[in-house]
Amino acid sequence: MKVITFILSLVILAPAYASDETPAKELLLNMAEAVHNRNFDASFVVVKGKSMEPYRWLHAKQGDTELEHLSLLNGAGLEMVRVDDQVTYFEPQSAPYSIATDSIAGPIPEVLFKDIERLSSEYDFVLGGKGRIAGRAAQLVRIESKDEFKFNYWLWIDAESSLLLKSAYVNHDGEMLEQLQLTHISVTEEPAPLLLEMLNRDFPTPLPRDAVATEQTNAASNNWQIGWLPDGFSLLKSDRHKLDLNNELTDYYLYSDGFVEVSVFVQRPLPGRRPSGSLSSGATTIYVHNAGSFDVSVVGNIPAMTAKAIAESVARPL
Amino acid sequence: MTKAHVNKLDNQDLSALLDGEQPLSNEEIALQDTATLGRYALIGDVMRAESEDAFVLDISDSVAKALESEPVYADFSQKQDAQVAATGTDNVVAFNWRKPVAQLAIAASVAMFAIVGVQTLPQGEDSPANEIPILQSTPLTGVASPVSYSSEPALENAEQGLRELQQQRIGALVLEHQRQARIAYSLEKAHTKAQAEEEKN
Repeated sequence: MKVITFILSLVILAPAYASDETPAKELLLNMAEAVHNRNFDASFVVVKGKSMEPYRWLHAKQGDTELEHLSLLNGAGLEMVRVDDQVTYFEPQSAPYSIATDSIAGPIPEVLFKDIERLSSEYDFVLGGKGRIAGRAAQLVRIESKDEFKFNYWLWIDAESSLLLKSAYVNHDGEMLEQLQLTHISVTEEPAPLLLEMLNRDFPTPLPRDAVATEQTNAASNNWQIGWLPDGFSLLKSDRHKLDLNNELTDYYLYSDGFVEVSVFVQRPLPGRRPSGSLSSGATTIYVHNAGSFDVSVVGNIPAMTAKAIAESVARPL
Repeated sequence: MTKAHVNKLDNQDLSALLDGEQPLSNEEIALQDTATLGRYALIGDVMRAESEDAFVLDISDSVAKALESEPVYADFSQKQDAQVAATGTDNVVAFNWRKPVAQLAIAASVAMFAIVGVQTLPQGEDSPANEIPILQSTPLTGVASPVSYSSEPALENAEQGLRELQQQRIGALVLEHQRQARIAYSLEKAHTKAQAEEEKN
């Protein structure tokens, strides 16, 4: 009898375990599809600790062409415009430029609107509770890091339209570090006129993809040894260039695990003995490590402990 | 010394104060006469492209008149409005990129914004973050740093200069990270594609 109960319970429990992961992924895939196919006009705010950034987000699908416009509404501003596979950034500090990519690098991680399957090796997808967000019924989906070196990411998805309503970077104590909350969304039949207008405009021509790839040839990957990174991170680019704002020369390394990006800078040390330490704004951590003859700075949406470990693992090659 | 540091404005402190980027200190204000303060406020208003009737400060008429006879650097009058109405559809984005003066002013303040927006880590009681020292990004007014115990103003200035250098550097790093992260996605896709092709061969 016991054996039968055991087997029965296995039969009942097995699909329960399996279904926990799949609907979470399905919901995310539905969300990606909804975001790519619907015409909507949304406003959201990003809350980072004590500061707040409001954004307006417009999206339309006209025939086979996707049109998207994301703009930061406070301060000097920032405008991002996407026409299919070309994203143009308008910033106050520099001339507008385009990148050949099919998603805007805004406050929402791009991978969420793409192939989330690639995150499976480093993150678990878990279904959370239901709730009411922005006046609508929402389902929580948690993307949980498999180790403690990265933050978790929680998303609340509209039960009806599958659109994103809220998201947050959450640390391993369950504290929300950086929250994104929609304040308004309207889904329309027709694309917004502003977006249609974009079809008739000329944008800067993006650098060809090959050019981006050949940048690898003057890679600086041999200049320094980066001893440790959390599992799943791989090097995307490395070079030596001058920083825009202060003209300082830096050896630069860009890593990504598909979800978050980490930048490692190795620079000439500042005069005087500045202590090592960290700063954070929302989920973004900046760790500055004074290694004596050089300074290492790590920037990314990772916990301070991780940034510290990465910075301290940088050494001169043997 | 970085280039940016050499190009520092004479009255950067006052400018930063009016932009809300620096804590208010009475001494600093007392040092400035009313005319200077008013002028800086006006400059700020014009650069932020606030409309004429939004000038709340009691700026003397003579200044306004003098401005009228000045050559036009940034024209926010109706003349431009009419122009916008006629050719308004030329602009895809709501931003007006034809204001070089405003652009410059913003560029100068962006570096500061990056720092001011950054906060120190919240300190949990037993969290491992406790072990990590926290950088002092903005000097606390009224609190003496070890160096300022010394009565030497030169030393104090050096300390202040270093802090500014570090702030500039952190601002530059954060901006650079944001920019580089934009190409991360397409780079990653190219990488995985290349890997897949390698595996095939």
